[in-house]
Amino acid sequence: MNDVIYLGKKVIQFVLVIVLLSIIVFYMSRLSPGDPLMSYYGDGVERMNTAQKLEAMDKLGLNAPIYKQYIDWLANAAHGEYGISYKYKQDVTVVIGDVYKNTIILGGLAYTLNFLLALLLGIFCTLHEDQTIDKIICKVGVVTSCIPSFWVSLLLILIFSINLGILPSSGAYALGQSNNLTSRIGHLVLPLTVLVLSHLWYYTYMIRNKLVEEIRQDYVLLCKVKGLNKKQIVYKHCLRNIMPSYITIMAISVPHILGGTYVVEKVFSYPGLGSLCFESAKYHDYNMLLVLCLITGILVVFVNMLAQVINDKIDPRMKHDRSEIDWNCNTATSI
Amino acid sequence: MSNLLEVNHLAVSFSTEEGEVQVVRDVSFSLKKGETLAILGESGCGKSVLCKSILRILPENGSIKSGEVILNGENMTKLSPKSMDRVRGKEISMIFQDPMTLLNPTITIGKQIMEAVLIHQKISKSAAKKKSIELMELVGLDDAENRHAQYPHHFSGGMRQRSVIAIALACNPKVLIADEPTTALDVTIQAQILELIQEIQAKTGISIIFITHDLGVAAQLAQRIAVMYAGKIVEIGTAQDIFYDPRHPYTWGLMSSLPKIDSDEGLLNCISGMPPNLLHLPRGDAFAQRNKYALKIDYLAEPPMFKISATHSAATWLLHQDAPKVQPPVRFQGL
Ligand SMILES: Nc1ncnc2c1ncn2[C@@H]1O[C@H](COP(=O)(O)OP(=O)(O)OP(=O)(O)O)[C@@H](O)[C@H]1O
Ligand SMILES: [Mg+2]
Repeated sequence: MNDVIYLGKKVIQFVLVIVLLSIIVFYMSRLSPGDPLMSYYGDGVERMNTAQKLEAMDKLGLNAPIYKQYIDWLANAAHGEYGISYKYKQDVTVVIGDVYKNTIILGGLAYTLNFLLALLLGIFCTLHEDQTIDKIICKVGVVTSCIPSFWVSLLLILIFSINLGILPSSGAYALGQSNNLTSRIGHLVLPLTVLVLSHLWYYTYMIRNKLVEEIRQDYVLLCKVKGLNKKQIVYKHCLRNIMPSYITIMAISVPHILGGTYVVEKVFSYPGLGSLCFESAKYHDYNMLLVLCLITGILVVFVNMLAQVINDKIDPRMKHDRSEIDWNCNTATSI
Repeated sequence: MSNLLEVNHLAVSFSTEEGEVQVVRDVSFSLKKGETLAILGESGCGKSVLCKSILRILPENGSIKSGEVILNGENMTKLSPKSMDRVRGKEISMIFQDPMTLLNPTITIGKQIMEAVLIHQKISKSAAKKKSIELMELVGLDDAENRHAQYPHHFSGGMRQRSVIAIALACNPKVLIADEPTTALDVTIQAQILELIQEIQAKTGISIIFITHDLGVAAQLAQRIAVMYAGKIVEIGTAQDIFYDPRHPYTWGLMSSLPKIDSDEGLLNCISGMPPNLLHLPRGDAFAQRNKYALKIDYLAEPPMFKISATHSAATWLLHQDAPKVQPPVRFQGL
């Protein structure tokens, strides 16, 4: 029963946040200066007179008060119609449907790779804490994480695409080769490298510090008395205890890596949600921008809530505390 | 009978920001099979540090400066970390002052005991489980079958201390170091834990080093007693020696601070003054400033250990042949 109430609360929270997000994006995009007609009619706008412009705006439904536009949009969205993209003159969902997989591949790989490597490196550094190798890794890590990702991208493009000519510098696959796996992998190497280089140390450092802190807990003393060595203590005890923090870090870093992916997509002209996002913001492609923001927002909020739920379930201490708090709430409301 | 454990001239220092702190200074004692040695001393005199240095589980800023710890004829201060892991838990084990934080909060009590059973013994999981339930019964945790699957937060302080004892005994070690195992517990629980330790010793013949600042506890448990002051053993002997023929002024002070049932005095006696700062030890005897019987030489040179009998020695200049004869102010009248 408690679980149902708990879940219900989370769902309501989730819906509220998303609705709020849609309102904010809706207003902000419409209030920001610029001409949405440009993206629909291109240079043709310059030859239009005022009356024609007004008519065109009417056609796109942009003359009504913003709150009315929002209500209309909401009514359509309820039927699964999210409007057309002004630039592509196609349904927004169709345009997104063409490229979203590219972003999932790049972002997903970057995410998995980052967290896998961060965990391994974090453990390695903890086991060799304060030894030379740990110190070297720490120094190198700090340096790599300080270099801006667009600069690394340009550097890598210069070396591997222009000078050596062994890796492509833009796109997701060679022309007309969208089903060619080698071509796709080749196009992923540079963007992935940038995403790992620019994020990895950030997470490694957090995991290393959590572990180094954990290994100074009192219970580790008893583990040592049992005869466990440092490796066994880290793997069997400390790792398990930092898992809630690790998962929290993983969850809150989804927007971080997603944001990174969007930037890298732009630099490498990789067709994906990131490139689309930049375009739609630049050309006032309102419907497109709103849907992209909502997709990103839903993902981020969902993943944060997921982290909370997993956190609650994984650590018996937290579960214990929570059930006590819940119990108090229930009695309070029933009185 | 030969000695099971011998500590010879052990010295332990911590490096701190203010400089090197000598916490254990030239400590020597021995322990025979089946014997209990109590180490008495006030808070901060280095009892816990002494225990941890024997097991080599000091915090990283602490190190053994000199001396040896010989267990079964092997010098443990010279062992590699790997060999040391094989000694801990199997040959020598330890229980601690505060049981509340010593167990890993995210692993069930049963698993933590099983881990201790499995680490030095090649037996199956199910056999280990059986053994761990037996251990829980041995240390007086009733309903062991159900308790096995519970987490530390389900356990009270006394039950946690019992679990820690079960872990310490899991591989039948020959020596158990008990560092004030009852200090953090309620008085009634204290008595139960002391009884438990006595019972276990009667059953297994384990040798015990029992740290305490309670003379009564020392009298109840120990055949031999060492009195520690400012990192040094100032008097050591059989319980008889210490209680009926104490020779060191500090021991006299401890004796007279015992509450006397038949006394008319409303106040408890106590040793005036503060223990010395280990960072800046005074020249000569560390106890001189608080010593009513201090001689001039006490301020100039540290007294060596004077042998009083085969079993009894004390470090005070009063025992020097040229020193004036002093009547001890106390006579032991039983506890
Ligand atoms: N990591 C450390 N760094 C520096 N000094 C330390 C460290 N650990 C302990 N000490 C010092 O060593 C001295 C002895 O500490 P210890 O814990 O052995 O005392 P104790 O005799 O066990 O006292 P208690 O009865 O309160 O447990 C203290 O003065 C303390 O300040
Ligand atoms: Mg202590």
